Amino acid sequence: MTDVALGGAMPNGEELDRLIQLIASERDKQAFALLYKHFAPRLKAFLLRQGLAASVAEELAQETMLSVWRKASYFDPQRAGAATWIFTIARNLRIDHLRRDRSVSTPDPESEDTVDDGETGEAFVLRAEREERLRTAMKSLSPEQAAIVRLSFFNDKPHSEIASELGLPLGTVKSRVRLALGKLRTLLEGQL
Amino acid sequence: MSIQHHPSDETLLRYAAGRLPVAPGLVVATHLSGCVECRARVATFEAMGGSLLEQVTPEPMEPEALARLLAQIDAPAPPPRAPAPRKPLPTLPGGILLPRALRHCEMGRWRWLGPGVRASSLTIAQDPSARLTLLRVGPGRKLPEHGHTGLEFTQILSGSFSDGFGRYRPGDLSEMDSEIDHQPIVDPEGECICLTAMEGEMRIGGMFGRLLTSFARI
Ligand SMILES: [Zn+2]
Repeated sequence: MTDVALGGAMPNGEELDRLIQLIASERDKQAFALLYKHFAPRLKAFLLRQGLAASVAEELAQETMLSVWRKASYFDPQRAGAATWIFTIARNLRIDHLRRDRSVSTPDPESEDTVDDGETGEAFVLRAEREERLRTAMKSLSPEQAAIVRLSFFNDKPHSEIASELGLPLGTVKSRVRLALGKLRTLLEGQL
Repeated sequence: MSIQHHPSDETLLRYAAGRLPVAPGLVVATHLSGCVECRARVATFEAMGGSLLEQVTPEPMEPEALARLLAQIDAPAPPPRAPAPRKPLPTLPGGILLPRALRHCEMGRWRWLGPGVRASSLTIAQDPSARLTLLRVGPGRKLPEHGHTGLEFTQILSGSFSDGFGRYRPGDLSEMDSEIDHQPIVDPEGECICLTAMEGEMRIGGMFGRLLTSFARI
């Protein structure tokens, strides 16, 4: 097992996974602090990038890390890496926050299992394989296509925002998005 | 039976990114619960979210943020919320259950919308503005034209319908752009029950469109 680097170099994926496992098994606060230093500022930046105000981004980054502490035992590195798992927690909290904003609040203890995973019989692609394929595929997209995919991820009105960010007419964007995602699909499936 | 019609990649990406509005999101969640292929695709897009999170340029947190959080995790965790009483899922005509993905929705009464067409609106406590509708359409009948701009998502729960793009059976999801002219007609074998939501502005369509529009506003 790799020792977790204290400070200095950025921890790699396996080290981050290990930190979450230490939190789960040992309630290890030092591991939590390391994980926090890595992810909290990234979560804040990510949430800002998604259009939230700085104070809200900060608060949701905190809530996400608190959830990481509380739910660490549910983390399964075979299914998703640390960054992906933490991303999904932040995503769900952001959705809850946006609903809260509409002044209606009904706590939904099951909000995170909207999808029944139905493990049985799942053609289970190992996480490492999925992430590796995705990395290779993203590198094979043209810079413009990679930008389109990224912007589709961040923006609420992806078409108009992509249009203004890339200086393309709105009509063109729709087909470019479809082309970029089609290419990504071909690349992901081509590696099977 | 294998699923023939799936949400587009763009829709699955937006779902994974948490950017699909509530009602279309629930139609997609219903599809996902029965579709291994789309679940794998969503998992890939979630991994994309993870890698974007890794790549973003960090934004410093407030100086005391970590200390405050460490103090908070020392405090006793709030008592777990009492689990909401488990209501049995409503049964739909024909004996199928309302999909589990919709368990937090309140199902309205079936209302007459036109000859052979009934609808029940599903309300979502967390988001009353969301418009999600169950349609129950008799054999050989046309599905109501919604009259809207944007995307329309329809998941088949029972029975089947056909349009210019093929035949849709239980488990299939039809995703249609309003620019595309298509008229789904329920197959002659029996009634079709489907779950439908749309994104974008409503506009007045034909008679059914008007009916459905006024219905959805109630
Ligand atoms: Zn599917």
